[in-house]
Amino acid sequence: MKRFIIKATGAAILGAASLATWGQEGIDDPSRAATYAAFKGKRVAFVPLGMGLDLTEAWAAGMKRQADELGYRFDIRDPNWSTDAGAQAVTQLITEKPDILVLHNPDIQVYARLIQRAQAAGIYVLQINLKSSSLSEGFVGPDWVALGEKVANLAVQKCSPKNGGSGKVSISQLTITAASNIYQMKGVQNVLSKNPDIKVVSTQGGDTQAAKARAATATVLQQNPDLCGIIGFWDGQDVGNAAAVKAAGLQGKVSVFTSGGGDKAQCNKVADGEYFAYVSYNASLQSRDLNTMIKFLLQAKPQPGTFKTNLFNTLDVITKEQPKPTACYSLQDMKG
Amino acid sequence: MTSTNSTVAAQPGLASAPAQRPTLTLRERIAQQRYRFPDHLLGEILAKRWSDNAAPFLFLTAVVALFGTLLPDLFAINSFTETLRQFGEIGLLVLAMAIVLIGGGVDLSIGSNFALANFCTLALTSMYGVPLYAAAPIAIAVGAGVGLVNGLLVGYLRLRAFLTTLVMLILLRAIVEMMLLSQSVEITSKFVQSDAWDVLGLNRYFGMPASLIIFILVAVFFHIYLSRLKFGWRIMAAGGSRRSAHNVGIDVKRTVCSTYVISGALTGLAGYLYAARLASLNTDAGLGLEVVALTAAILGGISLGGGRGSVAKAAMGAATVVILTNGVIRLGLSSGAGQAVLGVMLAVAVAVDVRWMKNRDKVLSKVYVSPAFVVMPAAARTDEASGSPYAMNMQLREASAIGLGEIEGPEDVIVDRQGHLYTGTRHGDIVRFFGPDYRQSEVFCHIGGHPLGMSFAQNGDLYVCVGGMGLYAVAPGGEVRKLTDETNRSTWSVVDDSRLRLADDLDIAPDGKVYFSEATIRYEMHSWPIDALEGRGNGRLICYDPATNQTRTLLRKLVFPNGVCLAHDGQSIYFAESWLCRVNRYWIAGPNAGRLDVVIDDLPGYPDNINRASDGTYWLAIMGMRGPALDLSLKMPAFRKRMARRLPEDEWLYPNINTGCVVKFNDRGQILEALWDFGGESHPMITSMREDRGHLYIGGITNNRIGRYALKGSDPNWTGYDSYWKKS
Repeated sequence: MKRFIIKATGAAILGAASLATWGQEGIDDPSRAATYAAFKGKRVAFVPLGMGLDLTEAWAAGMKRQADELGYRFDIRDPNWSTDAGAQAVTQLITEKPDILVLHNPDIQVYARLIQRAQAAGIYVLQINLKSSSLSEGFVGPDWVALGEKVANLAVQKCSPKNGGSGKVSISQLTITAASNIYQMKGVQNVLSKNPDIKVVSTQGGDTQAAKARAATATVLQQNPDLCGIIGFWDGQDVGNAAAVKAAGLQGKVSVFTSGGGDKAQCNKVADGEYFAYVSYNASLQSRDLNTMIKFLLQAKPQPGTFKTNLFNTLDVITKEQPKPTACYSLQDMKG
Repeated sequence: MTSTNSTVAAQPGLASAPAQRPTLTLRERIAQQRYRFPDHLLGEILAKRWSDNAAPFLFLTAVVALFGTLLPDLFAINSFTETLRQFGEIGLLVLAMAIVLIGGGVDLSIGSNFALANFCTLALTSMYGVPLYAAAPIAIAVGAGVGLVNGLLVGYLRLRAFLTTLVMLILLRAIVEMMLLSQSVEITSKFVQSDAWDVLGLNRYFGMPASLIIFILVAVFFHIYLSRLKFGWRIMAAGGSRRSAHNVGIDVKRTVCSTYVISGALTGLAGYLYAARLASLNTDAGLGLEVVALTAAILGGISLGGGRGSVAKAAMGAATVVILTNGVIRLGLSSGAGQAVLGVMLAVAVAVDVRWMKNRDKVLSKVYVSPAFVVMPAAARTDEASGSPYAMNMQLREASAIGLGEIEGPEDVIVDRQGHLYTGTRHGDIVRFFGPDYRQSEVFCHIGGHPLGMSFAQNGDLYVCVGGMGLYAVAPGGEVRKLTDETNRSTWSVVDDSRLRLADDLDIAPDGKVYFSEATIRYEMHSWPIDALEGRGNGRLICYDPATNQTRTLLRKLVFPNGVCLAHDGQSIYFAESWLCRVNRYWIAGPNAGRLDVVIDDLPGYPDNINRASDGTYWLAIMGMRGPALDLSLKMPAFRKRMARRLPEDEWLYPNINTGCVVKFNDRGQILEALWDFGGESHPMITSMREDRGHLYIGGITNNRIGRYALKGSDPNWTGYDSYWKKS
């Protein structure tokens, strides 16, 4: 009997103790379960121009991480820089009906009808960096016109005869019909039209290929040894321009102005003097914007095609004098 | 066979009882059953042109199976339809490449040409307001124009196809890029969306995308073009051998040029469809498509060397490549994996193509010969002491020679009413020796093939079976005309047996119908030893009716049928089956019509022609004698196959053709008389003999003379012609 009392007392004490602990732990977020349920069995498919590129790898890494954390499926269909294969992949995906398509448009026209078709089929469409002429639920990317103006202004500042430059610049375009190219070109033209003292000696299309840009710029440099600046549209291609300048022994005399996603390796080129100025739209933050849109769409479940948003990114200018480490990212960290 | 087993030949008076069949051991019975399996079909299938399709078809099946398993939804109807949309365009390009390859060239410019057509279509519709459908002919014309430049350079100026089209590839790409640089923003900004784009690019008809329907129509057209029209045949000929094509009178330059124009036009059409689907002015339009198309064409089995290929192969190759590239993308493999897979495929396909071309004939020759299991009854005895009616003698040595050294290969001989003697020669002539001394001769007519069996029709026309050609008639003036060279195709025969390969002997029934035998449908005339080695029923008996000009096959699966001879009563025909050493009788009229009897089945040698004798019996030529080794090997098909593979033809086991023998038999199958030239000094391998006015004329396909042997006690006025036609 005595033993029983001791046991009972012990049990009571233990019980009270545990009750007390529970009281200290707080309560579960009542919306958690519903939130996770919203992601369950969902599927997000990403069709980049091609993998193996700092930008696409960064976006994919960011989206993959969130997908793993929240428990939905994330697929990549890599058309490896073929417009046709890309269109085919998107068409195929529409028949497979994922919940969200994330598209990286090769040009403003090619996916336009497919985007409308996807939305009609009940699929949300997000566009990253490169826009289509069809707008959809969300576009994440820089305001290309503003970016073009920003880069051009940097070039004007450096190269205007008023500031001691020769006034001669060349423009290194990308794929001519890509959204980033068309709109940036507009921005550049906006600035140049106001600065008649700047003379454009050459406009070439590099097709996003560094080697092509390098060859073109090498020729331009031979014809115009007094060139002051090269207005580049994307760091991935402008690597070639910088290399051409370096090869011509003109580094420091010819300035390369470029923009990009802010991969650390690219940012470092500013410090190295390969680029004079670099405008970053920070791919890491872009992937966060994409993830935000994905979380929003999967939970809010609006009717596809009912709204259109542009999520323009903050543009950070990096120069030797003003290195902004926060505008740059490392892929390793993103995957972490 | 062994000598103890041999039976004494049927004696006169003893009816032609079937000869004793040797009993088989268990092992032989098993072999017999095993060789009922039609192995010969494998060789026949391999010999078919369409058997080239087997490898690409198997490969396509493998690719479908692989990706169908890895990606179960790849062939889901909706998704597959979209794959087919791309297939339509790629298919057109592969077809373009295929036609040039078949013509013996290569067109590397199709990738750039494709981009040009894409650009033209979008420029026309956006900048100049041309309706989408109206842009099609312009895009095709632009493509064809580029093809024409290629064609002029390669076809007429004889530049190297590879370099010329490579230059065109680079040149056009540069032009397109220059135009893109200056025009693309304007074109893109002026792009007008309309329903017309959906018609070609988005909609489906009967569940199929428009591009696929267009591809099917084009493919059907070019299938007919290549396989049924002279233009396509010329392309095949020019691709197979430029020189031979030129020698037969084909305008090779124009033909080659035409392949590039076709290629350009098809590329233009594909580029137009691409434009209508994507409306994209990307610089990567058509980039690398020449490699894709080349890979697909080679993968489909279209030969890089030219002259070999078909639309079906192009379509199979295109399907393989489209499924492969789509599958790789959908598997989510990393960038470049698709190209890597394609590259490996191209290498494998080229290797297979080369090896196949090189070894096909070797494999075929190994597989094609397919000996059968044959059981021979014991042979009748021929030794002088046996008392057998076949007993050897030297009587034919007495024959005098006609045309000695002047003629080669008198397979059959015949005498006309005037007493002139006719024979065919291996030079393709029929030679006439003038009676009564047969010293002078002339070429009666030239046919081309080796004339074999002959018969006179009632009107005096000489009907003759010509090896490799068919049944011909020669008028008394020497004018040659074809009676027939084809018969009805058997439903299940793999070999095309509608053509006559080796018609070898004939006879004419009282109603004018011509009954003739075809020795084999599997071999050409000079390959008769291989047919003998096979011992298979490859021959047939055919009837040609001059009244209706129709030819029908009466009996199939005869073993080297030969020596067709109308019986004296006109109710039946006798014919020999050489490799079975027997004589059959087939009833063509009267109550027994349609019946087939074996008349003699234990001949000591291999029978050839049968002809009428003046006393109401028949002469039978025995072209070679049986030997125990050869008889034994007939029960050992594997041994014979090995022999055929490993030994040159002149070291095989052969019938003994170094002796000459003619026998006489009656309608009961009894042997009445045998005339020999034992040792074959003047008449080895007797293939025919003909009685006329008391003499026997003897022919042999390998001989250099005709023999004339005086028959003792025969009717000196009897002629073959009268025997057939006078009584009626």
